[in-house]
Amino acid sequence: MKTRLATAIFGLCALGFAAAPALADDPDSPEARQSRWQELEKAVFQGKTAGPSNGVVTLQAPERAEDAALVPMTVTLTPADKVKALWLIIDDNPMPVAAHMVFGPAADPHELKFRVRVNAYTNVHAVAQLQDGSLVADAKFVKASGGCSAPMGEGEEAALKGLGEMRLKLAGAAQPGVPVEAKLMVRHPNFNGMQMNQLTRMYTPARYIDKISVSDGAAKVFDLESGISLASNPVLSFGLVPQASGRLRVEVSDSMNTQWSRDFEILHMTD
Amino acid sequence: MRAQSSLLLAVAFALGLIGPASAGASEPPGLWTGPMHGEIPATLAGAKVVDAAAVAELKDGGAVLIDVAEFPAKPAGVSSNLPWMPTHMSIPGAVWFAGGGFGDGRPAYQQAFSARVGELTGGDKDRAVVAFCHPGCWGSWNAGKRLVMLGYRKVYWFPGGVEAWEDKYAAAPVKPDRGWEEIRR
Repeated sequence: MKTRLATAIFGLCALGFAAAPALADDPDSPEARQSRWQELEKAVFQGKTAGPSNGVVTLQAPERAEDAALVPMTVTLTPADKVKALWLIIDDNPMPVAAHMVFGPAADPHELKFRVRVNAYTNVHAVAQLQDGSLVADAKFVKASGGCSAPMGEGEEAALKGLGEMRLKLAGAAQPGVPVEAKLMVRHPNFNGMQMNQLTRMYTPARYIDKISVSDGAAKVFDLESGISLASNPVLSFGLVPQASGRLRVEVSDSMNTQWSRDFEILHMTD
Repeated sequence: MRAQSSLLLAVAFALGLIGPASAGASEPPGLWTGPMHGEIPATLAGAKVVDAAAVAELKDGGAVLIDVAEFPAKPAGVSSNLPWMPTHMSIPGAVWFAGGGFGDGRPAYQQAFSARVGELTGGDKDRAVVAFCHPGCWGSWNAGKRLVMLGYRKVYWFPGGVEAWEDKYAAAPVKPDRGWEEIRR
């Protein structure tokens, strides 16, 4: 509810309004949502448009989220050829791109799970880039609001404890060459600058994970670029193809240029 | 019963739910040119202070609703090459004069405000006009003051703004008013 106050308080934005397209009469109409998506396509894909998913990319998202600060979303990919990259875009969030992933040779991008913040009733798009460079998208409408301004229950100091700690879980024993699902958890409050400290009434300055890089030996699994839309203490599920090295390196950096890395000996992991 | 209610009052006070009785800055004689957010007056001479329910009635009665909230800028610390494209939520049907509440004395800015309000009201100084932005924001006070100074006779100031509206009714995304954007350039 206080989101708009948060976003409005920081003075005039450098962004021009010239890009705003013609107004649909009802700002909440499907036409208005479509025109927002066209603006986004311009900004994110430099004007390239995403075609229908044709079953290649499927987004699962709750119709109405119980907790707008922690909305689970699953993207399923069933391309003929491995996809090159994936975007998860929450159209009406102030920083709409929640995640941009570029997959490497050690990726098995078939199912990806995210937990995100949703600021207002919005369309969410999952966009996959295929090997020929073309884009395909699936969209869902999600009812949730206030996810960006929701303060963390535990308070700032507690939220920053153990910053950058990581855990990794595999769905089964890892064997070289055999795809396996992995779940990565990173401890980080992902402050988005829109959350008010309930005691001081001040906004907690933004500090969020902006990059996660995962490699198995010399082979890249993925590079992920993110903004302020990932939920606090991000959890990300992805598929990978373990390499002979058996060493999965996770590198995380945040918007204050703090970096963390951890190696997981995945061939010898026990639950 | 009495002890209970005074205890409740004390608790509410301690929690900061109730401010001192005489909350609010005193009204400046003209437009406010200080910091845009902070303590604001409780009144606006020449205008009527209204709450969300009154705004809903005015809206139904055809009042012009002017939102002068500033364009949402990136929060401190957000720097990324990912696009920043905030959506502004407001009272459905409101006209958004983004950044239209500065006490800026430049004649061009004043003329832009006057011209666009003139268009929206069809030049009718008896048309009801509601000015609002966010709580604790001088912008809507200034906009109301400007309207009074321009001779509008039915000026309403809604200090609770978009947040107070959303506590009772649905808000909708609005785009900056093109007329305002074009005139003030």
